[in-house]
Amino acid sequence: MSVDSCHGAEHLIQPYLDRALTEAEVARIDVHLRECDYCNDRYIFERRLREVVRDCCTGEPAPAGFVDRLRLRCCGQDDVA
Amino acid sequence: MASEPDSSSPGAAQAAAARDRARFEEEALQHAEHLYRIALRLTGSPQTAEDLVQETYLRAFRAWRSYSHGTNLAAWLATIMRNANMDELRRQSRRPPSEPLDEQSDYYLYNRLADTGREPQERVLARLSGSGVVEALSAVPENFREVVVLVDVGDFSYADAAEILGIPIGTVMSRLYRGRRLLKQRLAELAEQDGAA
Repeated sequence: MSVDSCHGAEHLIQPYLDRALTEAEVARIDVHLRECDYCNDRYIFERRLREVVRDCCTGEPAPAGFVDRLRLRCCGQDDVA
Repeated sequence: MASEPDSSSPGAAQAAAARDRARFEEEALQHAEHLYRIALRLTGSPQTAEDLVQETYLRAFRAWRSYSHGTNLAAWLATIMRNANMDELRRQSRRPPSEPLDEQSDYYLYNRLADTGREPQERVLARLSGSGVVEALSAVPENFREVVVLVDVGDFSYADAAEILGIPIGTVMSRLYRGRRLLKQRLAELAEQDGAA
């Protein structure tokens, strides 16, 4: 897909954020984002949204004693061949 | 996991196997918190998440010999957890809701917030932080949510997620795409409810 248009860039923003693009694609997206405020504003928003989702959804730690309970209940059982 | 070939006696071999297994168990337990975070987003409740992780470790330790040392242990455990979760969903015969099918822009949330135009998008995101995002994610249908959870919360690559879910990478990408879009639609609804209140 072409990265030279806003339409092409739009479809590559998610894989770009996922680090799933080739180096050549990344370089072309970088150029487009430098030159295009429309896409760059949206890219910054998408990046921030990822951070917000990650922060919100990984924030709650496991309850106290969680790993100890696992150790107690799951370790040292018989093997099943 | 190699044990020292210290003896030909069955007792010594058994003791070596027990040591290998104990070492494996401790290594696997290093991933417990990571699995818990994923489980919490898959199930939606701390108690169910803990039960799911426990079931995962019971299965993993029973099958520990089938893990090939040096491969991605987190992904191996996540695969077991995913299967355990699907078994539980099937047992409760809760069908994952089917996919809604409307084509939307990748910039859906941004554009929709821009249309409303009452406050900058960045402020809306800050306002949505916390329970809003969790609520929005839990509203995404299971088959899309699990991909979003593995990649966006669990930090697994497309390839790991494909292995864990037993689906092709292309399917991971399309479900991820849809799942994130559904998440944005729900976030937009929440932002508008909040903003109107």
